[in-house]
Amino acid sequence: MVVSCGLFMGLKLITDQIPRKKVPGASIIYIPSGKYLKYASLGYSSLFADLVYIWSIQYFSNHSVPERFQYLTHVFSIISELDPNYLDPYQVGALIAIYDAKDFDTAMEILEKGLEKNPEQWIFPWQAGHYAQMILKDFKLAKKYYKMAMEIQGSPPITKRLYSNAVYELGDYETAWKNWLEIYKNADDKRVKKIASNHLYRTKAAIDIQKIKQALYKYKNKFGQLPKKLGVLVSSGILDSIPQDLDGRDYVYNPETGKIKTAVIPWKR
Amino acid sequence: MKIRAVASNTFKEAIRDRVLYLLLFFAVISLISSRILALLTVGDKIKIIMDVGLASISLFGVLMAILMGTGLVYKEIDKKTIYTLLSKPINRLQFLLGKFFGLMATLFIMLVFMSLIFIIIFLLYSGQITWKFFVSLGFVFLELCLITSVALLFSCFSTPILSSIFSLSFYVIGHLSWGLETLIKKMKPGITKFLTQAVYALLPDLENFNFKSEVVHNLAIPPKIFLFSFLYGIIYTFFILVLAMLVFRRRDFI
Repeated sequence: MVVSCGLFMGLKLITDQIPRKKVPGASIIYIPSGKYLKYASLGYSSLFADLVYIWSIQYFSNHSVPERFQYLTHVFSIISELDPNYLDPYQVGALIAIYDAKDFDTAMEILEKGLEKNPEQWIFPWQAGHYAQMILKDFKLAKKYYKMAMEIQGSPPITKRLYSNAVYELGDYETAWKNWLEIYKNADDKRVKKIASNHLYRTKAAIDIQKIKQALYKYKNKFGQLPKKLGVLVSSGILDSIPQDLDGRDYVYNPETGKIKTAVIPWKR
Repeated sequence: MKIRAVASNTFKEAIRDRVLYLLLFFAVISLISSRILALLTVGDKIKIIMDVGLASISLFGVLMAILMGTGLVYKEIDKKTIYTLLSKPINRLQFLLGKFFGLMATLFIMLVFMSLIFIIIFLLYSGQITWKFFVSLGFVFLELCLITSVALLFSCFSTPILSSIFSLSFYVIGHLSWGLETLIKKMKPGITKFLTQAVYALLPDLENFNFKSEVVHNLAIPPKIFLFSFLYGIIYTFFILVLAMLVFRRRDFI
């Protein structure tokens, strides 16, 4: 018995050394739908969800499987069917879709499903907004998702700041100003107050520069050239006064190019 | 008194059964593996540990109930010790109940042992166990009571292999019958729907004792569900035991 035990253990070690051709990803021959797996789980659907999730992490991390992302939506929808309240798979699925598969639509689909099954979780629209802002630079989409996150109880205060920033980036300076003013007034700590103050500075500067640019355009149309100084806009009756930044400083005007900028960088005030 | 004597003997016999310790060994391996499995996940490790732990306790408890329960009466008949027993001033009902309670006591000890191991593993990792976990274990035990009564019923007239298959089928049906409810909702009103509803009401619904998701996700549980599920379990077990008694009473051993 001892000899046979030693023999088969030795044979196993030898067999493991023999190289064998494997087709990466061949373990997926058939993936059943979540609905049928739920029946098959016999009351252990939560455990099945865990096992599918753990398997999916290993599978999608395997870079030798070239077309591993074609089943991404299906695999994570299985986990969602088996255990809709399991939050991690939605976030990790979206992460894999964005950073590995470079598939933004799939990431949004997964996060939307997470929100549909767990409407009280702010993290899903928050992450969707974050990906829209940071990856796609789509501030319209980011604004929509941040707004959804803001309306869910428990969402962190930064959500409103991100929303307000998205509003600013879309060019709606009036609304951005109102939001940042509210944040500034309601801020509990100095850091948030400072952030809000910098954004207020930037928003006011954007509104003022827009106004000055319109005035410069009118002046150029009337007199055929740009003015040497901004004060000329007042003396010519185009503007009542030259706006100043939030700190009372004048804007910096380049008469050759017509460009206007703030005297300081908002974040270095 | 007589029921207690039979129960005590059944307990002593069952606690020495090697099958029990084999299953207990695999249950402990499974519980320990929950900790290792949690290492492979990204995110909430506690959920994995809790899921695997509760599933192991439940699944191995059911296997113990079925494998031990199906041999309860059959072994006595096979070894002919049933003649000696029934020739004593003990009626068949007392004999059956004694067997039932004896095995329940054994399963209770096993459940407590598995739960203690799980709690130690869990507390070493996380340090927080809620009251819902203990309630969930209570309902696992209630489910085991029902499964044991079913195994005992089949043991009264069938061989252990067939009794195991029937008991396992009962367990599978118990966890699939909720699908029938979905079918009923889609049916048009009529005699077929009525009959299907009657079958659905008669079939066991073991999902009533399943609170694993609520424990794992810390979801709210309506207090009414505890009472109704508990009563459902007790009454259904009583019904199966009465059925077992009726079958056993008519059984001829010659």
